[in-house]
Amino acid sequence: MIVTRSWLNEFIDLSKVSNEKLYETFNAIGLEVDSIEQVDIADKVVVGKVLSVEKHPDADKLNVCQIDVGSGTRQIVCGAANVVDAEYVAVATIGAVLPGDFAIKHAKLRGVESEGMVCASSELGLPDMGKGIMILDSSIGELTVGAELSSYPNVADTIIELELTANRGDCLSIYGVARDLSAALDIEMKRFEYKQEDKIKLGIAREAEIHIEGSMDGDLHYKLAKIDNITVSFLVKLRLAMVSVEAEGALNSLLAYATHTTGVILRAYDSTFFRNEDNKVCVLPKAKAQGIIEVTSTKYNASVVGVSQEDEAKANDDTKELLLEASYINPDTLVEAIHNTELRTDDLYYKTSRGSNPDLVLGLECLGLLMDKYTDISCYEGSLNVSVDREKERVAVDAKEISSIVGMDIEISKIVTILKKLGFEISTMGAETVSAVVPLFRHDIKHIQDVSEEIVRIIGINNIMAKPLVFAEQPRLNDTTDRYKAKKSFKNRAVGTGFYENVSYVFSERSLLEKYGFSTVEDSLDLANPIAEELNTMRSTILVNLLNAAKRNVSYTKKSIPLFEMGAVFGSKREQSEVISFVFSGQVEGESISNAGKPQNIDFATFTQKVGAVIGAFELVPCTATNDLIHPYQSADVIVDDKVCGFISKLHPTVQESFDIPVTFIAELDFDAFLPKHINATPISKFQGVYKDLSVVIDKSLNYYEVAKVLNALELPTLKDAYPVDIYKDEKLGDKKSLTIRFFIQSMEKTLEDADIESVMSEIMSALETECKAELR
Amino acid sequence: MENLEEKIVQADSLETLEKVRVELFGKKGILAAQFAKMKDVPGPEKKAFAQGLNENKAALQASFDARYEVLKAEEIDRLLKSEEIDVSLYGTLAQKGALHPVMETMDKIIDYFVALNFAVESGPMVEDDFHNFEALNLPKYHPARDMQDTFYFKDSGLLRTHTSPVQIRTMMETKPPIRMIAPGTVFRRDYDLTHTPMFHQVEGLVVEDKGKVSFANLKAILTDFLQYMFGDVEVRFRPSFFPFTEPSAEVDISCIFCEGEGCRVCSHTGWLEVLGCGIVDPNVFKAVGYEDVSGYAFGLGVERFAMLMHKIPDLRSLFEGDIRLLEQFR
Repeated sequence: MIVTRSWLNEFIDLSKVSNEKLYETFNAIGLEVDSIEQVDIADKVVVGKVLSVEKHPDADKLNVCQIDVGSGTRQIVCGAANVVDAEYVAVATIGAVLPGDFAIKHAKLRGVESEGMVCASSELGLPDMGKGIMILDSSIGELTVGAELSSYPNVADTIIELELTANRGDCLSIYGVARDLSAALDIEMKRFEYKQEDKIKLGIAREAEIHIEGSMDGDLHYKLAKIDNITVSFLVKLRLAMVSVEAEGALNSLLAYATHTTGVILRAYDSTFFRNEDNKVCVLPKAKAQGIIEVTSTKYNASVVGVSQEDEAKANDDTKELLLEASYINPDTLVEAIHNTELRTDDLYYKTSRGSNPDLVLGLECLGLLMDKYTDISCYEGSLNVSVDREKERVAVDAKEISSIVGMDIEISKIVTILKKLGFEISTMGAETVSAVVPLFRHDIKHIQDVSEEIVRIIGINNIMAKPLVFAEQPRLNDTTDRYKAKKSFKNRAVGTGFYENVSYVFSERSLLEKYGFSTVEDSLDLANPIAEELNTMRSTILVNLLNAAKRNVSYTKKSIPLFEMGAVFGSKREQSEVISFVFSGQVEGESISNAGKPQNIDFATFTQKVGAVIGAFELVPCTATNDLIHPYQSADVIVDDKVCGFISKLHPTVQESFDIPVTFIAELDFDAFLPKHINATPISKFQGVYKDLSVVIDKSLNYYEVAKVLNALELPTLKDAYPVDIYKDEKLGDKKSLTIRFFIQSMEKTLEDADIESVMSEIMSALETECKAELR
Repeated sequence: MENLEEKIVQADSLETLEKVRVELFGKKGILAAQFAKMKDVPGPEKKAFAQGLNENKAALQASFDARYEVLKAEEIDRLLKSEEIDVSLYGTLAQKGALHPVMETMDKIIDYFVALNFAVESGPMVEDDFHNFEALNLPKYHPARDMQDTFYFKDSGLLRTHTSPVQIRTMMETKPPIRMIAPGTVFRRDYDLTHTPMFHQVEGLVVEDKGKVSFANLKAILTDFLQYMFGDVEVRFRPSFFPFTEPSAEVDISCIFCEGEGCRVCSHTGWLEVLGCGIVDPNVFKAVGYEDVSGYAFGLGVERFAMLMHKIPDLRSLFEGDIRLLEQFR
């Protein structure tokens, strides 16, 4: 909503209110100031009177004008065609400096002397008012030849753009904004007084009639007027430009101006559209549904109240007899009805849907005043009205309740004063309680908290003392808090291990997920209105996002790219779960003196070590995951507590190539598997333990985890630890390999003797011989 | 005797000194030989002779110890010198990664409220109309729904447009008093320089008995919170409108870039909008079946906080895993 200071001034005296105060007040009462623009008219731009206009002898498009500028007559060459219609114009005299540092000097145009410039609006820093120069008239105040244009406050105005919240339809007009200011600044509203003279002494009923059908839930007022030579004043044009309201033609400009001024929904019809067989103007409003009223002639639809108007029914600047309509309909019922019917809506609907001004008389009088001043208009006496008897919304207002919501003692008298200023009718109920009748234009106010908001707005939040809440102590640690803490500690470990945290959209591209063999959300459960092709489904893996991030980093010339992300993924039924994913591309570390500037690329062992440093101990077994990012011969399932919780793999070289990134390793793991568990300590032996190595020859294809399974199955109490330390293959061994395992043997009861150790080792060896077909090397 | 003393002082390495030690103090050394002469000394002179020898030995031992200290110190010094490196070559080896600035900001926010006895709550990203809109006093045709462009699924689901549905879920599962925050990922169908289809919010809710919670309480906690986050800033409350709170306010801080003078970031207003808040609308309590309670709620966008706090110019860069940005937060 855009307002101007001088326009507001028509309803509230702002002469003692500075722009700073105005700005502060708007923000304080919840009408947020988006922008504020002071229009400054340059000095030495004066009102001039055009005395004569002659064609330039040597230029078709130029006119030579003699213009009285107060201090004398000046000859000025002007290029605008409309100067021939002008009597009063804005003249930039010699010495004036216009916006853009444009200094006006003596000039010779095609041989003709020119002492100044006749100005168009944009040349003065005013909003664009269309082609040609500005033609001034007395709408901005009495025109004195030679007077500085900047002395006219209606021209050198302040334009203020307000950002209105969705509930404040009542402020979608100059009048409504002025009313709010009046309450906040404690300045009385000026009375708008205008009684249009009904020049035609014939009652409207002689010429027109109205018949309603169904139960009306909207108000309608009609006036009938004969009209000739419709024009628009300079001020109306200027202000519409200032508030960025576009209207085509004089009639539409006047309607738009009156609506912007008062907030009343106004339409004009060509009365002939409604003439019936008896040549009477016959208006037939029909209630079609709750909130929907169609206005028709005996034959055709003319409009839907507050929603739209048929082109055929619209009046224009050539219309000889106008049927003027002001309407109001409750926005709550209207908006619901429009939502259900999906009717076509026009520009005015925005205002009606937010709540237009129900004061229809004000709207028609404002329009009447405008037309009366500049147009030959003759109205029929009286108007045709449809009015709805509405139950008035009442709120019982208790000073104590308001005080407890605000957190500060507010007296009932103060509350009453504020509410009255805002248009509420107040009747006393008790010492501390009143009944407040909500004005129709504040359809958003329904209960006591809505009323408190009004009180808070007008008192000003800055005048409320902050007060800490006193509350009863209560432990509030819960599973979510614990989970959040666990996540934080995993993230910190990942960071300590060198990974950067990535955050990416929880979306993915369906075709890409399919291409790489990941599950996708079932089509019938997928996004209905994705924002882009590459974000058209919910992700089932974070890895694709991370690989894209890696690719971007390669293009930023990064050589070592360690990334991780913890976040949501979605299954085919759109079930949400949380995973932690890692991608490591390129060099394992930065280039430095210690690696002579040639660091190794990341490899399986280093990557696994890094992932382990984040998530803790795990086992690796051959991979069962089936997606196409996986390298078939360098991949593993990650086992924690005997359960597969994800995979770790080298990135498939084909995928690596298509992303155009260096050697890359990936891992994706269910976060839930790593949530911290309770741990009980086991006793530590007081006796010396020994390390023993065993080298065996086994089948090349036998994985270590099969060997480990055999060792674990032995359940030897003194075998505390066993781990592989060497693998050896050569031609002589053929399809066999040599594996060296290191054992740590220790007893809880005694220091082991050689014989004890030998017996353990031989038990191990015989198990390996039977289960793994191992031979001692 | 002086000759022996000279030998000790002349020793120029621990090795030579060791030889001198054997020569002097060894079993077959000079001193041992002199002590051996003791048996030939006549009885009455024995005492004086022994005393002389002992004094002599003590003096030599002291010289030896002193020399040893000197030579040992010299050797350690040599060893240290031989291990000298240019440490300044190794200053850039740190391999630490970094938390994402948005997540770190979120952590900081959570820490503040947890310290004030708030519980952390969470809810699903895929929501339904009831939890995301209806229960929050946003009926289907409400104009405020325009403010939130929503991602819908082909069935009835939608992606939550704010973390407020977590309030509804928590209220429906527990009884007052409630003191909670809900940090989380939210979605709006908007994608340009200043909007991303996904971002993060932290929502706060307090519910107590009727008459206990006031707007003044909200002012107290949020003013303190914003000064904890942004340091010494002014905090301004402006009345505003949200369907789920009444009265509602938007909260601004004095611009941290220009200190209120007016600059491009604050659109020359001197203020930065950072929070929305208000007293919970009775219709919200009605939707979850609460009676005779009062409460406040607030919500904020984490990306905006992170961008302001760390002066990050580009919102979209936060979602691109750009190491050039992330490594600044190591």
